[in-house]
Amino acid sequence: MMARIILLSLLFLSLPATTLFAGLGNMTFGDKSESLKEAGVGPAIFPHDSHEQKVKCKVCHPTIFKEKRGANDITMKKNMEGQFCGSPNCHNSSQAFPLFQCKKCHR
Amino acid sequence: MKRFYNAGFLSKISLLIAIAFFVGYSITIIVPAEAAKTTKSSKKAAQKIDPTDPSSIIYLDTAGKVAGKGDPDKPASAAVKAGRGWHPRAMDDQRLPKDRYGLIDWVALVKGKFIAPKPSLDPNFQEMPPLSLDVLIPAKGDFVDDVVYPHWIHTYWLKCDVCHPKIFIPAKGQNNMTMVGIAEGKWCGRCHGKVAFPLTDCSRCHVKPKKAKK
Repeated sequence: MMARIILLSLLFLSLPATTLFAGLGNMTFGDKSESLKEAGVGPAIFPHDSHEQKVKCKVCHPTIFKEKRGANDITMKKNMEGQFCGSPNCHNSSQAFPLFQCKKCHR
Repeated sequence: MKRFYNAGFLSKISLLIAIAFFVGYSITIIVPAEAAKTTKSSKKAAQKIDPTDPSSIIYLDTAGKVAGKGDPDKPASAAVKAGRGWHPRAMDDQRLPKDRYGLIDWVALVKGKFIAPKPSLDPNFQEMPPLSLDVLIPAKGDFVDDVVYPHWIHTYWLKCDVCHPKIFIPAKGQNNMTMVGIAEGKWCGRCHGKVAFPLTDCSRCHVKPKKAKK
């Protein structure tokens, strides 16, 4: 019974969440600004819109990216190692542009 | 045994015999005719060995026809052209070391002693030994591993003046390299991604973890 209630409440919670998160537009990742300055690049701008058009939500959430601002500590090193944007079938594969094209994200 | 003598079996046997007879007969007819043809063409061709003439024997294929386009300046046959191409199966059979993209790993090739190319055609040529000097190039961002640049493999393949002083100023810290510039084809990007392993292989250069910043 408890499990059912929890499941139902989760369902109800997730319904507005999906409507909220769809159409997020551009997300700017501007933390680590010091390091970005040293590297001579701008903050990474992530176009949530164009990704929504390409893949379903469940492709990235919640396994690759947690659905919470600031919950994903994304670094280029982690991307290179195959996490986050650099996941094996994303920007570390032939399916998307490669990681070394800095200016495609860091604008 | 009885079931072997039904109508189907007999008809198959007769058909087989008929085919065998037909083939044998046609061979006996064709073979002498062909032999006669080849002797004729070879006799004809023997008289003509003129490299400027497209119908000369050296431009004829085994059937006695003009091979290729009949132009002495162009390769004689399609086979020559095909032989020039890169053959993936042949490359696989060589068991050359490959990187994770399936490209030839030119470093493993040397270190694993798969090949030992000569430095010069002159037997008295004294080659300068490769320079064993690793250069630490700190990554600009705090969250990326530093680069360790090995002179050794680069000087194994290349002369110093390939890179110095035009692409890299030969002094530590004087080349203000950026990954953006490299991706645009400057510095390492002059070769890597073109003739050397691609820039997508981040961890082949970014090897040395940074000490944690406080």
